Amino acid sequence: MAGFLKILFRNLLDGPSTDPYPFGKTFSPESIRGKVKLDPDLCMGCGMCVYSCTAKAINISPLDDGSGYTYTVWRNSCCLCASCRHYCPMGAISIVDDWHLAHDEESKYGLVEHHTIKYEPCANCGAMMRPIPPALAKHLYAQSKDVDPEKIRHLCPKCRQLEDAGNLAKAQTSDAQPAK
Amino acid sequence: MSLDTILKKLSVRSPWLFRINAGSCNGCDVELATTACIPRYDVERFGCRYCGSPRHADIVLITGPLTTKVCDRVLRVWHDIPEPKVTVAVGICPISGGVFREGYSIKGPIDRYIPVDVNVPGCPPRPQAILESVVLARSIWLKKLGLEA
Repeated sequence: MAGFLKILFRNLLDGPSTDPYPFGKTFSPESIRGKVKLDPDLCMGCGMCVYSCTAKAINISPLDDGSGYTYTVWRNSCCLCASCRHYCPMGAISIVDDWHLAHDEESKYGLVEHHTIKYEPCANCGAMMRPIPPALAKHLYAQSKDVDPEKIRHLCPKCRQLEDAGNLAKAQTSDAQPAK
Repeated sequence: MSLDTILKKLSVRSPWLFRINAGSCNGCDVELATTACIPRYDVERFGCRYCGSPRHADIVLITGPLTTKVCDRVLRVWHDIPEPKVTVAVGICPISGGVFREGYSIKGPIDRYIPVDVNVPGCPPRPQAILESVVLARSIWLKKLGLEA
């Protein structure tokens, strides 16, 4: 009996436990999966997210003129498993906590995350490619001090390979000379 | 004022809900039960109530990707609901097929068979998102009744 009274008084003091939402504020846990966001500066278009997507919600298709590609996530098919975020080698995909997604039938196919990502010509040979993001280039070439990451990130994979081989040969010859 | 409009005005305070499981995995159904049973969400403060018979319902919440086996039954139950009704697709399965899309036993997405009014994506959607969709469905329902512009 006394226990029941205790609960009764506590409930009277605490007031209603109902969330006033949608007419008032509500809470969102930090780690809640609301919707997928892509950072177009980091995306290289490797297609790992398309491969790992459980619900086939992601589409990457090249532009007609070959100047880039479009990246589309259809939120109405995304099951928020976060496979894309987990497998993205660039860390370009994040899942934000915005879960306000109820919409009417007209906007069904408009609920997409859409980006048009453009290629850039290689600084050496002019082939169309995506430049490496600056942070990654800095991380990759942190050990080699004579390489300018800002310059090498604008080279296509083939030219970068040649450049790296040249740099390596130069470093080896300069290492070998003091031994003589 | 005719009896018809009086009845309409009286009924707008309580759009009753009906729940159809079109082959759902039960995730969305649990979230629907959450909106009704847990005091924090409490869908009944909008006057909504889950009813047992489709003939009493105004807003119908459909979960699941509409499997071949359940398709006829869903359509039969859906046609039992009196007009004007508002159809809400809860979760990604009825909206687009979700992870089951193009499966051998899937007839959905549901708008191939049933005109949907409100979509609420998520796998499953948050209870608050479902409440959002119920409020949206209620305003569409009022429009269909001709009581709100």
